[in-house]
Amino acid sequence: MLLLTVLGALLMMPPLVYVFDQPIFHFGIPQIVFYLFVLWLLLIIGTALLARALPNDDSTDSGDGDR
Amino acid sequence: MLSADFVIATAVGYVGLLFVLAYLGDRRARSNKKSFLHSPAVYTLSISVYCTSWTFYGAVGNAARSGLEFLTIYLGPTLVFVGWWFLLRRLVRISHNQRITSVADLLSSRFGKSSRLAVLITCIAVIGIAPYIALQLKAVTSSIQAVAGSSEFGQGSLKGIDDVGLAFGVAAGMALFTILFGTRHVDAKEQHHGVVAAIAFEAVVKLAALLAVGIFVVFVGGGFENIFSRAAEAGITVDSENTFDARWLTTMALSVAAIVCLPRQFQVTVVENSNENYLKVASWAFPAYMLLMSLFILPIAVFGLTTMPAGSNPDMFALTLPMAFGQDALALFAFIGGFSSATSMIILESIALSIMVSNHIVMPLVLRFSSAGTGDGQGVTSMVLMARRFSIVLILSLGFFYFFFTRDSNALAPIGLISFTAIAQFFPAVIAALFWREASLKAATAAIAAGFVFWVWCSFLPSFESVSPHVAWLLQHGPWGISWLRPEAMFGLDGMDQLAHAAFWSLSVNILILTVGSLLTSQSALERIQASVFVDVFRRGQVTRGNFVLGSATANDLYFVAERVLGERRAAAVFAAEAYDAGVDPDMLEPSQDFIGRLERELAGSIGAASAHVMLSKVVSGSDVSLEEMMQMADETQQVIEYSQQLEKTSAELRSTAQQLEDANAQLRELDSQKDEFLSQVSHEVRTPMTSIRSFSEILLETGDLPDGQRRHFVSTIHQESLRLTKLLDEILDLSALERGERSWENLPVDPEAALDRALTVCEALLRQRGVVLRRGQRAAPSIVEGDADRLCQVFINVISNAIKYNDSDTPVLAVTSSIRAGKYIVEIADNGPGIARQERKLIFEKFSRGQRAVGDQSGAGLGLAISRQIVTRMNGSLDLVQGSLPGACFRIRLALRR
Repeated sequence: MLLLTVLGALLMMPPLVYVFDQPIFHFGIPQIVFYLFVLWLLLIIGTALLARALPNDDSTDSGDGDR
Repeated sequence: MLSADFVIATAVGYVGLLFVLAYLGDRRARSNKKSFLHSPAVYTLSISVYCTSWTFYGAVGNAARSGLEFLTIYLGPTLVFVGWWFLLRRLVRISHNQRITSVADLLSSRFGKSSRLAVLITCIAVIGIAPYIALQLKAVTSSIQAVAGSSEFGQGSLKGIDDVGLAFGVAAGMALFTILFGTRHVDAKEQHHGVVAAIAFEAVVKLAALLAVGIFVVFVGGGFENIFSRAAEAGITVDSENTFDARWLTTMALSVAAIVCLPRQFQVTVVENSNENYLKVASWAFPAYMLLMSLFILPIAVFGLTTMPAGSNPDMFALTLPMAFGQDALALFAFIGGFSSATSMIILESIALSIMVSNHIVMPLVLRFSSAGTGDGQGVTSMVLMARRFSIVLILSLGFFYFFFTRDSNALAPIGLISFTAIAQFFPAVIAALFWREASLKAATAAIAAGFVFWVWCSFLPSFESVSPHVAWLLQHGPWGISWLRPEAMFGLDGMDQLAHAAFWSLSVNILILTVGSLLTSQSALERIQASVFVDVFRRGQVTRGNFVLGSATANDLYFVAERVLGERRAAAVFAAEAYDAGVDPDMLEPSQDFIGRLERELAGSIGAASAHVMLSKVVSGSDVSLEEMMQMADETQQVIEYSQQLEKTSAELRSTAQQLEDANAQLRELDSQKDEFLSQVSHEVRTPMTSIRSFSEILLETGDLPDGQRRHFVSTIHQESLRLTKLLDEILDLSALERGERSWENLPVDPEAALDRALTVCEALLRQRGVVLRRGQRAAPSIVEGDADRLCQVFINVISNAIKYNDSDTPVLAVTSSIRAGKYIVEIADNGPGIARQERKLIFEKFSRGQRAVGDQSGAGLGLAISRQIVTRMNGSLDLVQGSLPGACFRIRLALRR
């Protein structure tokens, strides 16, 4: 999870982001736009998978039972 | 063609719908904990209040003006949510444990419950958010203008009202709506389920609207490819040359800070969270929501630039594009979407800020100038609500004034970033609060204050450039012509982007002061305790120490305070629960250290940690612990946690020793009272036969000429009474000797069957006299138990004679059975008498208790069963009353077989 966060951050920042910053088009979309959205999507999928793998934390269900 | 009147009517109708939703949501959440409102989906949607009209309108404008930069505002929060395990989870857990209600509350609680820090943060938040509120007002106003300004007919009743009037109307309406909504009652946890339900609904509306516009644009433009290639022909390209520079990093960092520290985000993410597991869903669902929101922003911007006439406002493309293509329904939907995003932000932000203002500024002042313990039960609650209503009006007024002064500035996004920079000043302190044990109050306060000063100078002030020539001159030349103090080029740092410049200076100074200051200053004891509570939240579970010594606080005083703050019902509930846990009557409740701590947290939910602490300190005289004591406590805790299991063990031993002492003490006291009772009972029992002996002997002495028969009768009565007395005294001696363990005997192997037979033989005469039928049930095989044969026989005789004596049936029956079960020798002696009433079942083994239905000629002193039980216990057995085979009573004697 830490790895995913750090990796995501690095890939969004210069200088790594320059690697993809070329005037090329995929499906009519500039590559850099395409790259950022795909990276974003991968981060979301990765987080979803990780969250699923975690056990539920039952120790602190702090619903408002006291009202 | 849309008219302004129609659009405004729609907006008002929409607000009405929201109100109904919020009302229903509140009712539903109250009545039913398991409703869909308590779900990760609603939680995630409420977090989407992050996407305001800045997203809906401003991001398009931003994309049109500077390409991809708009993405950073969503990529930053994405990173925070991807790493939720480290930051958000910790934040939520701490806030649940400590009943934190806002960012100000969090920091003040961490830094020794300092009310000064809370006030500072609240003031900064209120001032810093003003531009953000202004942005929403501006967006709503512009969108209404965009609809109305497109035609003469469209103006409708807006003729002659300029945008200032319109914005004022919007602000006033919002204030009213927020007051109606968010200040209906004070909740201990500051959770507003109804509002959250409405916000979640708005999140769906704004997403659907933006997607609808986006899909429409892509459809009209002939697909992504077409849109981008047509734009390229027109000379419009997505400028990525200069995108990834200092500004990219700055906006990314600011948005990371904003998603955590913005009052409304803290409110929905942390305070309104009712279950930590919801974070798991939100961790991917909220970034996904933002991705969907941003998906069509670039196409809308690019398409707008290529098709709309030059000079049209790119911020409004989402609204003006559908109108330009004559899609009135879609335009209306877009308007409602933008309106949604603005209203949800304004409502939640002002509620969150008003909580901060009332908890950290108004309440402490009230507490300072009034003495705790006066006022009526509802005083504080109504005061809190009033304070909140006023602060909502204040907050929206500030937003409106900011709008009024800077209405000439064009774009939406830069205004929002001014607020982000202000709010980001809290972020270093928040991170330090959660992870760095050494961070100290003085350093945090100084750091935030310094960052704020830099923000005012470099970011807030320059935004008035277009309004005030004075400010413009100042920007040009610096104060008093000192050029290295120019707000946009501090210390000669020229040519930097203005936002990056402001963020760089304010945050650098902030972090520098925080780190260096914390290393140089020392913490107070209370800070140290709170620091370890925060930093070790996952290591030590829910342990939170109360920081009070027990002074002369009575439960009554505390109840008074609780009642003032929480209202009568909740206060009573809290105290009743405590009394129930302690196992005492609520009136007899002794306030313990833990309870005061718990009460403080409970109050903190309503009035903030610092205020609650002040309030209780006032009540609990002897207020705070002496410094040395606190130091010791804090150090001890730390040592226990970090180095030595030893200490923990020692303290556990001490605890158990203390517990044992306490138990022993309690036992002694119990025995003492038993002794007194025993004595009084004995005197009572002795008195009765003595009285009759005395009176009869007096008669005999005084009257010389009694008939012989009568004299004999008197003498025999005296004799009988003396016998009874002797027997009673013997029994008492026997019993007390048994209890003291003086009359001990050697537990030898005996045959219980033989003892039982002997007892039956002894009781035979009595049986015959009363005409009781002895029903001999099955008998155990000869066996051996440890005990004393005579004593065992005594027990049997006792029980059997009881069964005979108390049997008032016409055909009395006595059943004796014995058996061996599970290594125990068991005798059951049952009768068909009246049985023993339920309420007496415990009592009959007590001294001097005879059954209520004792037949008149009962001569027992009520010691038999007590003695028998003592004896059986000595033989490691038990004597109990059980459900027997016959309708009456049944006694069961169990003895362990000799192995």
